Order: sequence, then structure tokens, then C-alpha cells
Amino acid sequence: MTDDTTPMTDGGTDDEARTDGGPPATVPPDDETPTWSERKERSQGLAQLTYQYFERSRREDEDLRTESTYVERDVLGFPTWPHETIRNLAITSFFLGIMLLVASILPGHFGDPANPGSTPAIILPDWYLYWSFGLLKLDPINPDLAVLGGNIIMSNELLGLIAHGAIFGVITLVPFLNKGNARRPVEEPGWAALGVAGVILAFTLAVLAIQNFFPIQLELLFSLTFMLPIAGGVITYAVLKTMREGYMYDLNRRYFMLRPPK
Amino acid sequence: MSLKKQDDMDHNAWLKSQDLTAIETAFLTTLIWLDKRLRIVDYLELLETMYYRANLQMPKSHTEQYDLDNKFWYWYPLYSLGSLSIIAYLLAAVSGALLGFYYAPSTAGAAAQGDPTAAYDSMVMIMTDVQFGFMLRAIHRWAAQFMVAAVFLHMLRVYFTGAYKEPREVNWILGVVLIALTLLFGFSGYVLPWKQLSFWAAQIGVELALATPIVGEWAAQLLFGGFTLGQATLVRMYILHVFVLPFVVTALIAVHVGIVWVQGIAEPH
Repeated sequence: MTDDTTPMTDGGTDDEARTDGGPPATVPPDDETPTWSERKERSQGLAQLTYQYFERSRREDEDLRTESTYVERDVLGFPTWPHETIRNLAITSFFLGIMLLVASILPGHFGDPANPGSTPAIILPDWYLYWSFGLLKLDPINPDLAVLGGNIIMSNELLGLIAHGAIFGVITLVPFLNKGNARRPVEEPGWAALGVAGVILAFTLAVLAIQNFFPIQLELLFSLTFMLPIAGGVITYAVLKTMREGYMYDLNRRYFMLRPPK
Repeated sequence: MSLKKQDDMDHNAWLKSQDLTAIETAFLTTLIWLDKRLRIVDYLELLETMYYRANLQMPKSHTEQYDLDNKFWYWYPLYSLGSLSIIAYLLAAVSGALLGFYYAPSTAGAAAQGDPTAAYDSMVMIMTDVQFGFMLRAIHRWAAQFMVAAVFLHMLRVYFTGAYKEPREVNWILGVVLIALTLLFGFSGYVLPWKQLSFWAAQIGVELALATPIVGEWAAQLLFGGFTLGQATLVRMYILHVFVLPFVVTALIAVHVGIVWVQGIAEPH
């Protein structure tokens, strides 16, 4: 199984060019795991019968597979079981403990009962919807979109909804806009910059949603909401472009040999 | 490939040709019957292989496998965020099912505006009278917070490692749908205690729904049970939170993970 002629994931067999570390380490050498016939010989009674049947069953599978026209292909990826599962179990136990710990330390606030008659000074969703709430406060740019003598062409709520649709639409389209083999952010500084800008925008929109807590002028806050993501994106782009020079040699050597560009 | 029976693989004839006792015949017949339907040979082989592999070793990490010089070990936690959000989801499901024994989705009982309603009172009862109720609510609340946080970070990890690329586009779209549903899950749960914040968050929801062109009023009716908030809103949010979303989200998570299982984790670099 682990001899030198095992083809690599890209089909080559040149061992000097091997950069993928060889076949998965979980596959044991043949002499360690007994075959069905060996197990059959070692056992007796029902166990032996089971192995006899399994041998036949396996042979049947093999016959069918030989006859079939289905082409098995290499999947570039590493297996969920056991690689991911074993590693995740440890982290998961830790994570469960953290959740229970935090829940016991910070049980959370419980406010006044609902009163349809009095609007509270602060209306807020949970923190994870702050960005969404911030998108509903885009009314300063709404008049600029007007075409007819300063009349706004849509309500502020509709503008917010359209902004939501645009954001979800862009996120959905990402796999169809960004194609190719590149995986690391340094390889695609533009897309990494877009991602960083998006993350910063989520935070600045959240700040816009809770603007009461920030004692700066609303106009300035509004400008910062959109300027900071752009600034963050530009900085990310510049940094990654610079880093790329340093990485390019290694990337070319090990990464594109493993996965040649189409 | 041909689907016709293989003559030399007639297991029943093989069974008859053997000289077997009644027990052996019954055992083998059952085994063959089950194996033809459930392919237990695959699972038993897996167990056997594990059993025989006395010196079971931990699998190679991907940095070893792809010869990344152990530079990237500190990224590992980011690759379990998806599993973390599922764990949080399960914790929220268990604690939520227990909370469901005591919570009453009703706005009845308020003599005047601003008085506690039955829903609010049942929350107070959970937090003060029910054994372990205070902790139960805290666990449910924090499990939800952790799930949303993990889902967001999971999306960022997938984005910045380009794991959404070629065969995995469909799973990315499924993930976007799951994020939207998770947010809806959180929103509907936020409304249930019928606090001031819950009520006015729902109010913004209704206004948003009504602002949508064409389908707005229909959406407001469907999700909030009308244009003003009341008993109908609370019950709809409750059913959404404890009946509709759990089934839909669980099914979508199963598909999401199933696709990951079939395609493998995106090869990290």
C-alpha cells in the first residue's frame, strides 16, 4: 500500500516530486490487518461462517465493481472520519465546558414586561442582529437616491431590506465569482481584502445600530461606517501583496506542483 | 453495469450446499438477509479492522500530510467551528425542550398595558420557582449565543481558506441559508419572553415585513399573525421556534454535514 509506486493525488508517480506526504497514514500496511481468509482460518463455528460469507460478499462487490463503468476519481480532501472527528471531540468537550461555565457565571438580564403603550428609549435586537439593525439606519443616504425633486423613492425600511438582499446576494455568489485553485489569502489579496472589509463593515454597522452609545457626531459615525471597511480592505490588500512576494517561492514549489493550474 | 443476478454468487445455494446445523443455518440466513439490505459487512469490517490494528496511531495531521512544516497548527480550532455550532445547537435543543415544559406562549393575564403577561410570568416562574430553571434558561440563552457566533466564524473560516471553491459551491449556498435560518431562530427566541425588548424587536420586524413591496402584507400575516403585535404574533413565533425551525434546520444541517462527509474537508493550505 505504501510502496513507492503509489500514484499521487495528481496521478504522477515521480517520488521526488511528491509533496502531498504520500497516501493517508491511517491505511495500515497489508501485513498488519489480516485478510478475511486469514481471519476465517483463525476462527471456527459461527465466526468462521461469518468470515466465509464476508469473503464471498466482498468478492461479489469486487466483481460488480470490475464490471461497472463508474470511474472512481481522487477527491482532494481529507476524511471526516477519523481525522476530523477525533480532533474535534477533544475541542468539543472543552467547548461544552466553556458554554456551561459562561452560562453559570453570566445568566443574562431579564427586563420589564412588554408595554405596547410606551416605546423604550433603546430598542435593540440581540448582538448578532446589530449589523442588520444598522442596515435599517441608512436613511442619510436615502435622499441621495431620489430622482424626483428630493422626494425619496422608497421608504427607509425598504432601503434597508434591499441592502440586506444585496449583502446576502453577494455572499451567495462568492463561489461563482471567485474560481480557481488558490486557497490562501496571500494568493488572492483582492478577495481577502473584500472579506476583511466585509467583517469590518459588520462591526461598523453594529456600531451604527447602537449609535446612542458613541458620543460622536452622527454624520461622522455614518462616514466612518463606510470608510473604515474600505480603509481596512486597502490595508489588507497592501499587506498581502507585500507578503506574497515572500511566499511565492514556496507556494510555487509545493502547492502548484501538487495541484497544477488548469 | 448489469443488474442481473450473478450465478456464482447465489448465497442461498451456497448455504444449502454446506452441511450446517439448524442454529448455523438460522444465523447465516439472518446475516445474509440483513447484509443484503443494510450492508453490515462494511460496518463490521470497520470494527474488525480497528480491533486488529493493535497499535492504532493517531492520523497524520494535515500539516504533516501536506508537508506544511507544522507552521499552521494554530489554525486547527478554526476547522472545528462547524462542529462547535452543531454542539451548541444540540445543547440549545436539549435545554429548550426542558424549558418548553414550563413556558406558556400567551399574552393573557395583563390587566393593563405594561403588566406581566402569562408568557412573562412563566419565564419568571422558570427563573425563580423551577428547580435548576435559572441555570436552564442561562444555558439555553448562551448555547444560542455560542451557536450564532460559531456559525459566523465558521463562515469566515470557509471564506478566508477558499473552502467554498469547486466542488463545494452548493454547500456554501446551503450554509448561507443556514445562517439566515439561525438568525431567524435567534430572533423568534428573542421575542418569546415578551419583554419590552422582545416586543419592540418584533415591532421592527413587522414594520420591515410591511415595507416589503408586493409580498409585504402577506409576509406580515404569515410570520407575525397580523399588522399589530399580540397573541397571534407570540404563538406564531413560538411555533416557528419550537416546531418549524427545529425540523428545517436539523434537516439542512444533516444535508450540510452529509455533503462534507461525501466531499471531504477542503484541503487546507
